[in-house]
Amino acid sequence: MSKKLIKAMAVAAIAMIPVQSFAQTKIEWLQWFAAEAGADTYNSLVSEFEAANPDIKIELVNQPFGKVRESIVTDHAIGISADVLGLNMPWTKEFLDIGILAPLDDYLGKADNGFSKDQLVQAPIGEIDGHTWMVPLTAFPFVLHTNMTLVKEAGFEHPPTNWDELKEYATAISKLGDGISGIGLPFSSQPPANGPILTLLPLLYAHGGHSMNGTTPDFDNPAVVETLQLLNDLNASGAAAPGAASRTGGVDVEEFVAGRTGFLISPAAHSANVRERGADFEYAMTRVPGDVNAYRVHGFELGISANSKHKDEAWKFISFLLGKQANAKVAHASASLPGNLEALADFNTDGDEVLAKQMDILSNDTPVEELRQAPKATASWSIMTEEIQAMLAGNQTPEATAAAVQARWLELIK
Amino acid sequence: MAMEAQGQGPNFSTRGASLFQAIRDNSAGATPYLFLLPCLVILGALLGVPLYKVVEYSLFDNVIIKPDPIFVGLDNYSNLLSDSGFWSALLNTGIFTIGSVLGHLVVGMSLAMMVNADIHPRARTIFRSLLILPWIFTAAVVALNWQLLLNPFGVINYWLGAAGIINEPLDWLGDANLAMWSLLLISTWRGYPFIMVSFLSGLQSVPRELYEAAEIDGANFFHKFWHVTVPQLKPVIYGVVLLDLIWTFQLFPLVWLTTGGGPGRVTEVLSTLTYRLAFVDFQFSQAATAAVSILVISAAFTILYLRNETRNK
Repeated sequence: MSKKLIKAMAVAAIAMIPVQSFAQTKIEWLQWFAAEAGADTYNSLVSEFEAANPDIKIELVNQPFGKVRESIVTDHAIGISADVLGLNMPWTKEFLDIGILAPLDDYLGKADNGFSKDQLVQAPIGEIDGHTWMVPLTAFPFVLHTNMTLVKEAGFEHPPTNWDELKEYATAISKLGDGISGIGLPFSSQPPANGPILTLLPLLYAHGGHSMNGTTPDFDNPAVVETLQLLNDLNASGAAAPGAASRTGGVDVEEFVAGRTGFLISPAAHSANVRERGADFEYAMTRVPGDVNAYRVHGFELGISANSKHKDEAWKFISFLLGKQANAKVAHASASLPGNLEALADFNTDGDEVLAKQMDILSNDTPVEELRQAPKATASWSIMTEEIQAMLAGNQTPEATAAAVQARWLELIK
Repeated sequence: MAMEAQGQGPNFSTRGASLFQAIRDNSAGATPYLFLLPCLVILGALLGVPLYKVVEYSLFDNVIIKPDPIFVGLDNYSNLLSDSGFWSALLNTGIFTIGSVLGHLVVGMSLAMMVNADIHPRARTIFRSLLILPWIFTAAVVALNWQLLLNPFGVINYWLGAAGIINEPLDWLGDANLAMWSLLLISTWRGYPFIMVSFLSGLQSVPRELYEAAEIDGANFFHKFWHVTVPQLKPVIYGVVLLDLIWTFQLFPLVWLTTGGGPGRVTEVLSTLTYRLAFVDFQFSQAATAAVSILVISAAFTILYLRNETRNK
């Protein structure tokens, strides 16, 4: 090979390096999903996408759930927002008020998406202010996790299906002694102080109730008061574990996994905690007890930052994640169901009764998610927490609690 | 200092104009200022700019959440002063700060005297090492451990129940009547080592002859403590108490991670109120105003501390 040819090749190679690096668009994906479960799956999906799209580089930014909301707000304020945002439905309205999210209507209407909009779980894509702001990566219902070993020890054969049974079973389990309680009521003020959305709202929806009227708080209605009365009864009868005002959602899950509470109301995805850690009891997952088959729907959502300079690339990545195969992988990793229901075809439950039960609830029951339309949702559940703490301490009635929350919530959004 | 003593260096007390003059003239007198420059730039960037921005935010409305904040003068201060939540948090902050500093002082001084005792050197080293441990744990670890200890099914309730002191488990961090006391207990545990170490070094500098003279005069333990130890440690006590007041007054993580300001708002202090206003309610201007109130009160303590330090030199 002549020296001239070698020089020419070297020059060409040098010339190509900057061309390639400048052509690559880097986008950031801020989320907490990988921190909770399936980090390897997320990394492999990013690699898979980058291999298919060499012009796009994805930076996966992992943070704990409690940190992500704060990061999204502060990053937006100083203009360094991540392009793709992991979102929680209750944040929607408060993020819209600050202008954090970009509308996704045009992208959802594109012909080359890797999914059909009709096949997405519908709750997150409902329009607010005339636009769609997020899409569902995964979905899971709030369910009742049951320690069947304790239920049977207390003399019952199946998980409770209505509130009377829940009270009866939980009270009987608490009487087993040895530090065992029927159910936990996680109403700690410690951030994120989300006890009401973990326990109160799932019970309220299963009772056929609501806490909002459109975008206006409607917390002092009879169904809410009845649900508060149920919590009060569980607490007063000794069916609930002591220490509701210092019990966090995390502790509630841990106590259940350790076999110290009979029931746990939480996202179905927590079944993975129970099973992966080999809990030493017979486990069952059922609908949250109530009068109607309605569940609080939850999931991992995705949106695009209004400040992103690479919205098209961000959408390309989101479209990839919502594709059948990728979506099924994410769902498996997070022990939940895919946000794209077409992916169910690739979502093999392998005879898994727990996953099958989740699918049954998601397919047949009515999903409810009110807080995505709620102004200042996060602050509102702090208010609920404080007033419910006062009720459980015996300082006010359920009626007074509902009225106090309603008044403070209205004052908050004034 | 040697240069100053010889009258060759710049007079640092001269006005800022001399700095720029010296640099402009490229005279030898500019050299010390150039050495100071990196430090001043870093301090300005890390301290001055954030400080300025917080004060600026407190004079505007809708900062951070809107691109076009409106100048509102002192309206945010007026709103804060008319907010009962602020006064409640201020009162809680006072209770928490004074309670914590007293706890640190009593426990720290007692332990300092114990580990200053004339015992076997190896035992003394072991005790000193163990007793300083709470200081090296992060607030998150301390909060988590105490949550487990104070849980209704935790060890403390178990011991108290076994001893027949309580009939039912107490919710130490969730009961409105107990939460502040529990927080003070945790804060005392976390903060006493600083006082202990400071007093220990002070105690070691107290001449033994003073104690011997007091004993000859018939002084008992308490007499010696009040009339020898305390007067001798007075400069140390004043300095460390002021420092402790400054640190404790603005303490955030320990409160946020143990009670979150609850139950209700019975343990809400100014630092947690500031965080809540900013990242729960998205009222960043009001949060900046609350932060300025912390700054002003902390600055008052700091001035007292600096005066004390100057007086001791």
